[in-house]
Amino acid sequence: MSKLGIFDLSVRYGKLTAVNNISFTVAEGERVFISGPNGAGKSSLLAAIAGEVRAAHGRIEMDGDILSGRVPEAIARRGLSMVPEGRRIFRALSVQENLMVGVGLRRDKTAVPDDLEAIYAAFPILGTRRHANAGALSGGQQQMLAIGRALMTNPKLMLVDEPSLGLAPRVVDEVYDRLCSLQAQRGLTLVIVEQSSARAGRVGGRMLLLRGGQIVADGDAASFAADDLLKEAYFGKAAP
Amino acid sequence: MTLQLVFDALSLGGIYAIAALGIALIFGVMKLVNFAHGQFIAFAVFALIVPSTDAVAVMGLGAAPALVLVPALLAVGAGLAVASEYLVFRPLRNVSPVALMVASFALGVVIQNALLVIYGGRPKAISLWPELGKPVRLLGAEVPMLQIMVICAVLLVLALLAIMLKRSRVGLEMRAAAEDFGMARLLGVRANAVIAGAFALSGALAATVALVLVAQTGVADVRMGGQIMLIAFIATVVGGMGSLPGAVAAGFAIGAVSVALQAVLPIEARPFRDAFLYGLVILVLLLRPQGLFASASAKPRV
Amino acid sequence: MTEHQARKLASLTTPLLLIALLTAFVLLIDAFGDRSLGRMAAETLIRVTLVVGFWIFAGNSGVISFGHAAFACVGAYVSAWMTLKPAMKSLLLPGLPDWVAQAEWHVLPAAVVAGVMAALLALATGAAILRLSGIAASIATFAFLAMVNTIWANWTPVTGGTSSVVGLARYVTPWVGLGWASVAIVVAAIYGASASGLALRATREDEVAASASGIDRYRHRLAAFTVSAFFCGVGGALMGHLIGVINPDGFYLSLTFLMLAMLVVGGIGSLSGAVVGVLVVSIAVEGLVRLEKGVTLGATQFALPAGSQEILIGLAMIFVLIFRSAGLLAGRDLILPAAWVAGRAKTTK
Repeated sequence: MSKLGIFDLSVRYGKLTAVNNISFTVAEGERVFISGPNGAGKSSLLAAIAGEVRAAHGRIEMDGDILSGRVPEAIARRGLSMVPEGRRIFRALSVQENLMVGVGLRRDKTAVPDDLEAIYAAFPILGTRRHANAGALSGGQQQMLAIGRALMTNPKLMLVDEPSLGLAPRVVDEVYDRLCSLQAQRGLTLVIVEQSSARAGRVGGRMLLLRGGQIVADGDAASFAADDLLKEAYFGKAAP
Repeated sequence: MTLQLVFDALSLGGIYAIAALGIALIFGVMKLVNFAHGQFIAFAVFALIVPSTDAVAVMGLGAAPALVLVPALLAVGAGLAVASEYLVFRPLRNVSPVALMVASFALGVVIQNALLVIYGGRPKAISLWPELGKPVRLLGAEVPMLQIMVICAVLLVLALLAIMLKRSRVGLEMRAAAEDFGMARLLGVRANAVIAGAFALSGALAATVALVLVAQTGVADVRMGGQIMLIAFIATVVGGMGSLPGAVAAGFAIGAVSVALQAVLPIEARPFRDAFLYGLVILVLLLRPQGLFASASAKPRV
Repeated sequence: MTEHQARKLASLTTPLLLIALLTAFVLLIDAFGDRSLGRMAAETLIRVTLVVGFWIFAGNSGVISFGHAAFACVGAYVSAWMTLKPAMKSLLLPGLPDWVAQAEWHVLPAAVVAGVMAALLALATGAAILRLSGIAASIATFAFLAMVNTIWANWTPVTGGTSSVVGLARYVTPWVGLGWASVAIVVAAIYGASASGLALRATREDEVAASASGIDRYRHRLAAFTVSAFFCGVGGALMGHLIGVINPDGFYLSLTFLMLAMLVVGGIGSLSGAVVGVLVVSIAVEGLVRLEKGVTLGATQFALPAGSQEILIGLAMIFVLIFRSAGLLAGRDLILPAAWVAGRAKTTK
């Protein structure tokens, strides 16, 4: 059974179709990049999976359970966590309070202190600034906080929306390093929206190319990077 | 004399602060400016007496010993607020803040007139804890016992609320939801529970105001929450919409200004004290539209 | 004629249709109603003036004002000051300045001046209040309402305080009401179609985009607020001259509630919504007031307790917001189809 299954999913905002009849599955432990030009429907796809927007049509399953139609908090409680576009950290809360917001849904409350220390071990800067206001963190630190916050819910499946947005390349390397090692440690399944297919190729994994709300290609990210298919997805079919 | 003024300012400002908190809590989590808050206060006042349209009030709950009365009345306030949320505001979860505000105004009218139907329109004299009217000497000033009790109660409520918001799970979730409700939900925070919690707290705060009002004025009137609610609104705007510390600070500031106005204004101008107060507030907002206590970095919420 | 021109012409039929609707209402009551129904018709048309005035601001800007009852209050008292017999004024309102105390104007200029004074007050207060963002501005208008009420209830030598001012000439018939309501509707339609009205509605739909396109929201809001207050001032004056008695509390929370209820029930999104809302709510109120007074059903006397009128209207408002949040007309206007307006002239695309 696949970890995540998307079947004939469509998302519409009024007359605008953002996601058009998409189907794919993600296996347990897999790392899947979703790439494509602006307006391809990447973020809408993630928002629909997390329950933030309602799907116009289609079905979303996780471990064989139907997610579509449920409210976000119910989906989070099934072990899905989201690192959203723009990070959306709680600026008025301290770093540690940010990390603790998502703990309420866990049944294994006794494991929480150890998990917190594990996050601080993975992101030492969060540990040293644990009592600082989250709003005072730099962009890269906020991205790490958003990832740490999502991990504190002890998810099985994590959606990450544009982790590299607005960060210096060196910081992006660091973010991906941590993300990959955390995935290996915890056996996470990752779905990452990444605008830069080159970046996805370097990190490695499977890649779905979206364009105009549809999947135009599906394959290994590394072999995609130099491929013509990619150019096609971004710039349209070249004239024969 | 001056010390007396300080006590006046603290007790009046304290009530304003508690009322403003009741407004700001709900605004924080669901962007609702609750125009029914004044009627929540009036409802709690009338919950003290036996329902009847007779001119003379017979104490019902109000006759109970304070240890029973206070928690019971807080529960009544919280219950009414939660019921309002469930029946009126939950079905309106997806409408604009403007429509929510209009709905709360309508709810306020419904509650006020329901009280009118049940209890009649005439104000009734009721006596709650009359022994608190005795003055005591404190630091060389004659201060009514009641005023000291009010100030202590206000400080206690503020402290409890601060601890709850800072230290408890529900408090953390409320603060997170106040900042970004959608994100909090993505982290598994239950929207319904947080909103119901905010309403319960707000209702209990309304009941606190009701107790103080009754003890001070000795009257039950269906219109009695209105003026306090207006001041509370002003305090939340002046304090920066949705900021809880701002609302408290603005509540105390407005209390101080209105006591000062009362002392400074010539006798013939005193009936206009509130008009001066409202005018002053509009002037303040003209100079600082984002509110007096909002930090410069706080982004506008409206 | 192009289709666009035909549509534009068709939109001009809205005020005409609304005025025709109100005229039919007055004719119907004139023909079949008794005296009390006649009074109700006059009251309804005054409310149309008030609510259409209210709509000019709230409907175009999307900002709810709680302060418009205060403009009605000012209008009512200004008209009373200008028209009451000097002997009456020296008795009731000894604090009036001499030239006002001596004035004994005709009712029409007094009504116009009532509107102008309300508009000037709106210009002054709006200049401060409308700099605030939507919700904060609403709260500030509420403070303004309370401020005016406090002043009027305590400024006894000039306003009579909480005791009523009596003896106003009762000249308002349904036809007088219809006249002013028609003026309000025409002005509202003209304002709505004006550059300022269009710009203001653009800020209502999308504040960010509108400000990016360089629309000065504050200036258009202030313009709408001022025009809007004029008709509320006139409406207030008419209310005084309908009943003959005015009191500050007659222009406070209940009037605010009623005006809001009418706008919400009809739908804040269109001028027709405002007018239809007044008609529907006024008819409902009239029915409920009669039920409160008591009706005899066969052998049993049946009466609703006082206050149930507000309860039912309030509940109706909440139900409308829940189940039909855009109101009965849902933002649409009464309009003749474009094809009819174009008439025999062939419409081309």
